[in-house]
Order: sequence, then C-alpha cells, then structure tokens
Amino acid sequence: MRTRPLWRHVAGLGLVAAVLSGGVAGCASSDDGAGSRSGSGTYTIWDPYPQFDKGSAWARLLDRCGGDAGVTVRRTGFDTTDLTTKALLAAQQGNAPDVLVVDNPVVSTLAEAGVLVPNDQARIVTSAIEPNLLGAGRVGGQTYGVPIGANTLALFYNKAVLKSAGVDAASVRDWASLTTALAKITAAGKKGITFSAIGTEEGSFQFLPWFWGAGAQLTRLDSPAGVAALSLWTGWLRKGYAPNSVLNNTQTTSWQEFATGRYAFGENGTWQLANAERVGFDYGIIPIPAEHGGTAPAPTGGEFVTVPVQRKTSRYATSEKLVACLTNTGNLYTTDRTLSYVAPTGVVQAKQVASEPGLKVWVDAVRAAKARTGDGLGTKYPKISQPMWTAVQAALSGSKPPQAALSAAQSAAAAATR
Amino acid sequence: MSDLIRAPGEARRRRPADGHGDAAGTAAARAHARARPARARSGRWTAWAFLAPVLAYLVLFYAYPLYRNLDLSLRNYTVRSFVRGGAPFTGAKNYTTVVHDPIFVPALVHTMVFTLVSLAFQFTIGMGLAVFFSRHFRLSATLRALFLVPWLLPLIVSASTWSWMLNSDSGVVNAMLHRLGIGPVNWLTSPQWSLTSVIIANIWIGVPFNLVVLYSGLQTIPVSLYEAAALDGANGWQRFWRVTFPLLRPVSAITLLLGLIYTLKVFDIIWIMTRGGPAGSSTTFATWSYRLGFGTLLPSFGPGAAVGNLLIVIALVFGLLYVRLQRRRQSI
Amino acid sequence: MTGRATWWKTAIGLVLTALMLFPVYWMINVSFTRDRDMRKSPPDWFPVHGTVAGYRAVVDQQLPHLGTSLFIGAGTVVLTLLVSAPAGYSMAKLRPRGAGVLGFVLLIAQMVPGIIMAMGFYSIYLSLGVLDNPVGLVVADSTIAVPFGVLVFAAFMTGIPDELLQAATIDGAGRLRIFWSIVLPVSRNAIVTVSLFSFLWAWSDFVFASTLDGGGDRRPITLGIYHYIGNNDQQWNAIMATAVVASIPATALLIIAQRYVAAGVTAGAVKD
Repeated sequence: MRTRPLWRHVAGLGLVAAVLSGGVAGCASSDDGAGSRSGSGTYTIWDPYPQFDKGSAWARLLDRCGGDAGVTVRRTGFDTTDLTTKALLAAQQGNAPDVLVVDNPVVSTLAEAGVLVPNDQARIVTSAIEPNLLGAGRVGGQTYGVPIGANTLALFYNKAVLKSAGVDAASVRDWASLTTALAKITAAGKKGITFSAIGTEEGSFQFLPWFWGAGAQLTRLDSPAGVAALSLWTGWLRKGYAPNSVLNNTQTTSWQEFATGRYAFGENGTWQLANAERVGFDYGIIPIPAEHGGTAPAPTGGEFVTVPVQRKTSRYATSEKLVACLTNTGNLYTTDRTLSYVAPTGVVQAKQVASEPGLKVWVDAVRAAKARTGDGLGTKYPKISQPMWTAVQAALSGSKPPQAALSAAQSAAAAATR
Repeated sequence: MSDLIRAPGEARRRRPADGHGDAAGTAAARAHARARPARARSGRWTAWAFLAPVLAYLVLFYAYPLYRNLDLSLRNYTVRSFVRGGAPFTGAKNYTTVVHDPIFVPALVHTMVFTLVSLAFQFTIGMGLAVFFSRHFRLSATLRALFLVPWLLPLIVSASTWSWMLNSDSGVVNAMLHRLGIGPVNWLTSPQWSLTSVIIANIWIGVPFNLVVLYSGLQTIPVSLYEAAALDGANGWQRFWRVTFPLLRPVSAITLLLGLIYTLKVFDIIWIMTRGGPAGSSTTFATWSYRLGFGTLLPSFGPGAAVGNLLIVIALVFGLLYVRLQRRRQSI
Repeated sequence: MTGRATWWKTAIGLVLTALMLFPVYWMINVSFTRDRDMRKSPPDWFPVHGTVAGYRAVVDQQLPHLGTSLFIGAGTVVLTLLVSAPAGYSMAKLRPRGAGVLGFVLLIAQMVPGIIMAMGFYSIYLSLGVLDNPVGLVVADSTIAVPFGVLVFAAFMTGIPDELLQAATIDGAGRLRIFWSIVLPVSRNAIVTVSLFSFLWAWSDFVFASTLDGGGDRRPITLGIYHYIGNNDQQWNAIMATAVVASIPATALLIIAQRYVAAGVTAGAVKD
C-alpha cells in the first residue's frame, strides 16, 4: 500500500509531538493501541451500546464470558454511527478489535471490506439461528457473525384515542381499513399516525414495511407497488392524517409525538417497549398491515456479533468462545431482555413469550421480517436506500409527485449499483 | 476633521504595499533592516524562530489529513481498498463525477447563499452589539459574557434545540406565530423554508464570535480619538464611520475572512436540523461531502473527499480575493 | 454619562441578551420535560410537569468528567497561546520572507473538515496507543484554535505602533525581550480573545472527543451526552441536562473572566 511508508513517517513525527506535548510518551513505547491487545490474555470487544457503563449487566456479561474463556476482556462502547468508520480505520491500521458487535446492515459493508472473518473460518456455529435473521450476515456465499437479538417495527396504538373515535384496533387489517380508521380519528379531532421519514437510513427503515407490504422489490423502486406505498404516505400527509413533522422525525421524535397521548398510531420498534410502560396511557400493538391484508414484512434491526480479521489467526479460537458465550441460550435471554430485543433463536423466543405474553406480536413480526441487505443485495442496499429515502422526502414535502420521485430514485439507484 | 483623527489614517498610508496587509511592516523598519545586512539576517532567523512552533504544528497535524483528503479524492476507493490498500489512481474522475451530479449546482448555490447571507448578518449584528457593549454600562461585562454561552454548548445540542423550536407541529416558534394569527410554517420540512431556517440558526451561532473579536478590536482604539472627534462636533454616526470603522479595518477583515471559512465548512448544524433536505433543498458542499463520506451505510470516500477539496478551493479563491483587496487598499 | 442613560442601555442590553439566550432557555426547558410532554403541541413555555430525572442521571454519572473538561480547556488555552502568540508577532512585525504564504496556508488549513482531521488523529493515536487520553485531546483541540490564534494575533499586533518597538530596539532590547515585555502586554485584548475562543472550542468540542476519547474514564463532560444516545433512541431530557450542567461552571468562569478582563482593559487604556 502506497500510503504506508508516509503513514509511518507521520506517525514518527506524531510520536515526537506526543513526547513534546508531554505526558503521553510513557504509553507510546509499547506496541499496542488502546483498541488492541496488550497481551495474549487481553481481548478487545467493541459494541454500539455507549449507554451501558461498567456496572451494567452487559459489561458484566462480557467480563464473565472472558473469565470463562480464560482471558481478560477490554470493552469499548461507541456511538453506532461512529462504529463503522472506526472499525474500518482500525482495520486499516491492523488494530481491529477481537470481537465486534455491529448493526446488521453494516455487516455486509465490513465483510466486503475484508474486515470480518467468515463463520466457517472462525468456526462459529449458527444452526440455531432463525434463517431470516441470519440473512443480513450472508455475503457472497459466506456468513459473517451471529445476530445477538433482533428488533423490528410494528404499530403502537393508543387505546383511549381509538375508543373515543369509535375505532376497533382489530378492524385494521389492510391499508384501506387503516386509512378509514385514520379518517375517523381525525374527524373526531384526534391525531392520526406518526412515523419517521427523515432523510437518513432511519427513514428507509420505516418506509420498508409499507414498500414491501405492497409487494414492491428494492431492485425496482418505481414499480406500481412502490408508487402505491409512497402514495399511501403522501396521501396521509395531504389529508392531515399524519403530521408534517414526520419529514424530520427520527424514530425517537416520532415516539415522543406518540407519547403525548394525542396520536392514535405510532410506527415504532421493539426497543420502545420499556418507554411504552412509562407513557401513562394504555397502549396496544398490531403488526403493520400489508396492502391487501396480512402482516407486512418489516426490516430486521439489531446487531451482529462478528469476529474481525487479526494478524494472529490463533486468536480466533478464543474469539469464537467469546461469541459462543454471548450467544448461548441463557445469555441471549438476559441480553435481549436488557436491550428489549427479540431473540434470534426459536428456543429463546419461546422462553420470552412464555415469560411475557405481550411479546408475541413482536416475535411474529420478527419472524415475518426481512434483512435489508438480504435478497443478495449486500452492499448494493445502501446505494438503493439513499435514493429511496430521498424519494420519500421529495414526495412528502410536495416537491415531486410519488411516481416522479420514485422514477428519479430508480435511475439514481440503477446508476449507483451498475 | 482634526489632525488627531487624520493621524492614524496617515500612518496607515505610509505603509508600503507588501502583499499581506494585515501584517505589514513599516517602510521605516525596512530601511532600517536594509542598512544593516548582518542585523537583517539575524532578524530573519529570529523571525523564523518565532514561527517555528506553528510550522511544526502545520506539518505535524495538518499535512497528513490534507494529504489523505487529496489522496482519497484522486483514487477510486472502495471500502475494501480503503482497508486493504491498492486503490487505483483515477485522476480527476471523482471530480468529474461530482461536478456532473445533479445536486452539484443546487449545492453550490446553497453554499454561496448560506455563507454570504450568514456572514452579512453575523458581521452586522456582531458589529452593532460590539459598539453597543463598548459603551460601558451597568452589567455590560456580565451580559457580554452571557452572549458567549451558546458557544459552550456542543453543536449537537444547540442544533437539536433549534430543530426543536422550529418543529412544524410542536415547535415554540410556530406556537408563537399561531398567537399572532399566522399559520404554521414548515420551517424544516418544506423546500422553500429549510435553507432559511438553517441560516437563522447559523447566524445565531456566529454572532458571539463576531461580537467578541470586534469588541476586542474596539478596545484597542484610544478613547482620546473619540473625544477629539466629539470636540469637533462629530455625531455618533460620523464617529463610527470616520473613526471606528477605518481603524477597525484589519480586525474586521480577519473576522470576515475567518467567519467565511468557518461558515463554508459548517455541516453539523445543517446536518442535525435538516440532513440537507428535504429533497436536497438545504444541501451545501459541506453536508454533501459528509453524506457521501459518512452519511450512508456504505461510505464513498473518493467523491466525499473531492467535494471537500472543492470547498477548500472556494476558500482559496476568497483568501486570494482578500489578499488582493488588502493590497489595493494599502496602495491607495 | 448620566445615570438615566446607563439605565436605558442596561435595559436594552437585557432584552438583547434575553433574545439571544432564548434557545438556551428552551434547552433548559426541555431538560426538565417528561418524555410524554416533549412533543406536546402547543409546547409548554415552562416545564409545568417538570421532572429532574435527567439531572439525577447526570449528577450520578457525569460530574467527575467536569474536571477533565476543565483540564482540557485550560491545557488547550496554554498550548494555543504558546504556539500562536510568537507566530503572530513574527508575522506582524518581523515579516520574514514567506510569512504571507504561511498566513495563507493557515487560512486554508482551517478548511480541512473536522471529521477528516479527527480521522487523521484517530489513526495516529491508535497506533501510538494514546487514545482516551486528555493530553491527546488537548493537542487535537488546539489544532482548531492555533490557526485562528496566529491570524488574530497578527491582525492585532499589526496595530502596535512601530515607533514603540523601534524605541526599544534603540534602547538595546532583543527581539525576545521586546516580544515579552512590550508586545505581549500591549496585546492583552488579543490574548483574551484567543484564550476565550480556544477555551470555548475545547469545552464544546464533540467531534474530536467522540473520535479520540470514545469510552475512556477520563473523558470530557460533553461526551456524557453519548450516555443517553442509544442505538435506537435518545433520552433528550438527560442529553439537555448534560449540556446545562456542562455549561454552568464554564458560564461562571466566563462571567468572572470578563469582569476581570474588562477592568484590566480599562485600566490599561488609561495608562496608554
């Protein structure tokens, strides 16, 4: 690599600077970076859970798994958006962590970059994992990593609001009945539905259940089915069934809107369950309906536990032990409980439903869910997703009609994935 | 006008045009140096000795990122070659891709509008406030300090607060407008308003910077000049244009130039408030570069770096313009 | 000045400050708001059903990081002044050949996007093993302030009358002496300005901190925000509470510093 020698040079100069600025020279002499091993007995784990600190159940679980494998674990929690770049940079410097917990749509990107070790090589067994959840880890005939838990989207509804408008939640079975319900609710002076249509991956994530629920495929954004899905959202906005703010809503903002108690429906994810208990009103959950009835396939969310490439391949054996420990039945159960996720294996899912019957709707939704990077899309997905959320924004803000917006998106996506 | 007022202007004019107005030496010093060559050589060494720390700084901390950015923009980097190396050299291909992108022209226009409008308001408001606060009154120091509080907040917080206030449905600004009988404005979610909204937030963030630098500049103007002008019967307006403004020129120039550079590269405020949307209506070069490089699941480093470098070129143009203007002003 | 005139100015000043700080007030308002009222329409002007949950979380978890923030702020100020004041003097008064180009390069250097700088630092620090170190953050944060410092010092020092320096030269003072005992004291305003901004930048920096100090124990308080930004949802009242708590000591510091500075400047002006 051409940048290598220069890089060394700069690092050398940087070292001088570090010595000059004082105080850091002491640690600079040893060979290891903060993110890497300081001995064969120390294994590093990166995860996207900065909200968990040292005393948390998650951190203790990591320590315990390390203890079982006979090594010390050094864990760092990063913000999820930073984690991809950091993992790429660390791999570039040959300093990747031993175990990396990462958001599932990123797995294909990292695998493509050659950052991850395929499961065959790391001897990771995934036979117990539900196949639809493993989809996000499948790239070019290989599988990378194990899902630690899954989440997906459904419709939360406010029981009191529905009741006051005379709407029965069970009557919402397809798009037509949902739109009728929204019309009744708005006529009764309440607010209809809130979701997140922000111009980022979150917007695509929230749009996909409707897009897939119409029978559209990511390989053709401007199919009549795709246009129908976008027209549904646009129509809601025009008629005032959904607030204009959805254009700028993150999923948190959308949740806060639902939590005001004035909205009948809110499209949101499994992770809001803990917050839902605190809203102070009765809520229910229904799956997102497909256009002509039935449950729409929602995209899967949640993280994968992966093993990045190391110079010393002998480390994989211990990394595998750590991965196996994190994803064994008992630990999956507790971890997914703290994360409010649905477990990736049938056994643990059954255990979750047995202890909390309310989770059944989520388990069903996860079973019907699809990986965004699945269907052989892999790293093509991000290049399709961006034009898609752009089209959603264009249509909802009224700058283009749905058909035109999606046609433009399709040609952009086709050009980018060619 | 009294001699006292004219005096500093005269002193200015005596300075030679030597290319960099804000840091011009005097003819006298030059002549002095030329007369004693040995002294001049030692002087040059001392001069560079004073500059040495900054040079080391530039080489250590800026050379590598700049080189990286250039390298990224000239090669066809995929995520794989980013990690493994061996990205093929593609010359200006990333640049042509970027220039032919349909978002290029709107992004250029938005960048210019965003920068120039923000700058004009920030500077004018900052100057007005600086002049206002320089009349010492009760609490003036405390209030001036409070003006800096917005700078203590991480941008993620202040930008989120603006986004909160401008929310179409639950924002306090629309609630206020509603009381005045004005219908809701979709500040962040309509293509017509989004750029205006981010400009407003950016002006708010930039005012303290202009206020503080210009205020410090005002402090260096001797009070005696104002007193003399007042004795000559100059009113407040005349005193500002005839005394304050000319004497504040070097500081104003550097404030504007720095403001320009900081505004050109603003991305966090726009990114947090609108993500450059809706439909690209508030996309500037800085947010576009960020979106290409980091805003999606699959980074496209090459085009992202190319947009970043175009931004540097724009700054370069303005920098040269500044130098030219300075030189012209000096030579009059 | 008559007392009445000053009173009016104070009133106007208060109004302007209130306008300027309204967004800050709004942030405080949100920090006290319950989750369910955050997107209430129309919003509450005061946290009617206020909660201190956000603050409780912050006080429990974040207070120790205030010290780190102070250290980083102070360290950045010192480093920035050490590097930029001599350079500003040299560019303004000694004018070596090539100084103009250097000034230009400094301007351009500031255009490098922060995230690219952060990536560069990350690569370097990762290999050196100095991530999660406040000293590393001081160095990184000072890169924002140093070019600014040099240019501001140069602009201010240009205004120092050459006659003043020449008189000293004739008296036999060396360049270092002149710099230390004449140029620096006269440039008090520039020192204050540069110190203020380098402190503010270091204090509110998020990009460098999050890149270079992700999970360390000795992290600045602004990073405490991360504690409340989960993978899928954010606890906004705690995020805003962190920002409020983080800005209180710094605000106090600013007010005290401004008082002191204002007094010093006036005294200096009389002396001049």
